[in-house]
Amino acid sequence: MKAKVYRLNSGVSRLFLFALIAVMPGLVQAQSATDGQAVKALTTDASGALLVLRNSGLLAVEGQSTTEIPLPPSDSGAPPRSMAKGADESLYLAGPGLGIWRYDNASKRWQSLNDTLPDLGITAIAAHATQAETLYVYLGESGMFRSRDGGAEWVKVDSGPREPVQAFLHSDMPGSMESGWLFAGTTRGVARSMDCFCFWGDAGELRGTVTAIDYDPSAPENVYAVIEGQLHHSSDGGESWAGLKIPEPVTALTFSLKEGLVVGTEDGDLLSQNASGEWVPVHE
Amino acid sequence: MEICFRRTPLANGYLFMNKWSFPLVLLVAPALVVAGGAPPNSDSGPTEVAEGRQIYEQYCAACHGWQGEGAADWTKPDEKGEMPPPPHDETGHTWRHSDAMLFRMIAEGWRHPFNKTDRLTMPAFKDILTDQEIQLVIEYLKTLWTEDQRRYQRSESQDVN
Repeated sequence: MKAKVYRLNSGVSRLFLFALIAVMPGLVQAQSATDGQAVKALTTDASGALLVLRNSGLLAVEGQSTTEIPLPPSDSGAPPRSMAKGADESLYLAGPGLGIWRYDNASKRWQSLNDTLPDLGITAIAAHATQAETLYVYLGESGMFRSRDGGAEWVKVDSGPREPVQAFLHSDMPGSMESGWLFAGTTRGVARSMDCFCFWGDAGELRGTVTAIDYDPSAPENVYAVIEGQLHHSSDGGESWAGLKIPEPVTALTFSLKEGLVVGTEDGDLLSQNASGEWVPVHE
Repeated sequence: MEICFRRTPLANGYLFMNKWSFPLVLLVAPALVVAGGAPPNSDSGPTEVAEGRQIYEQYCAACHGWQGEGAADWTKPDEKGEMPPPPHDETGHTWRHSDAMLFRMIAEGWRHPFNKTDRLTMPAFKDILTDQEIQLVIEYLKTLWTEDQRRYQRSESQDVN
């Protein structure tokens, strides 16, 4: 009898061990979905929640609450690389091989905006700061395309700066001949043009590969750019730049109504400045 | 025929034609059209183009070039920290602006916001040229562009309207 009980216990133990081994990789993956992965892009949604793009997926973070937003379907399996928020708070995701997609809040589905683009090799996108239907995409050698109807029709408007664009931004900073300014983070630094695409010139003398760029909508002359993990700030529309000290290498940034400037880091953290100017974690 | 010139402070010392002598220029415009040979793809008639060209040559060419070629190094600030006059031909960006925007630039003037000086480097011409004269200049500028550029600019003008 004892032998039977022993064999039964042993069998159950083996079964449990086998089940644990089988399930463990999934548990590890679930854990790593929110921890330790570099933040690829950041923005906010209409409710003020932070939208955090990592390799593992897209999360909406508001206070202690975190909600996963499924990524757009892609035949190529290409992950998104750029994220932008439109003037009407619409969310856009894009990436090489993925093209550009808009998230429909009502249906909770992604809508492809790629029908009239020549290819899907988008490396950077920007949404117009005040015109909800105006979007910009950068397609590498194919150049820069603009849509004024929410992505239904794309028109090539320019070749872009001489160096390839890694990050793209539209700003409603005053002084433009048209409706605003475009900032392009390139492999050489920050390039700037009025949104007529009149010509691309150097925005100051900041040099290096810019991987993220954003501005303060409440004070548009304040522009921020990331080069090799280092955050740089310009208070004069890109004419001059100064480095900001942050405890971790920065990989993404955005402006939140609640938190002000929020940065995402290589370690996956989200940081903002407290009242005394110290960088502290944003509660995830 | 004698055409009077006077110096106007608006254009940094460049020679400007007296406003009242402008009608005299209109009299010789048709002859200039034949001599100059307006590009065939212009949207405007040859008379309008010739009139616009004449006004351009009197008021604009000293800074923007007789062929609309602009300053040599117009994409970079000069020694005063001012952006030099851009070209108006196909190498510039004039074709990227709507009719309404071009009219505003000519009428009200312009300074690049990152210039180190405060003055209007592009003078305001609303007290010098009539609305019609400004429009004629714009029509002439269109003859300096490629057909693709004209198409783009037409689209910009329609989008604005």
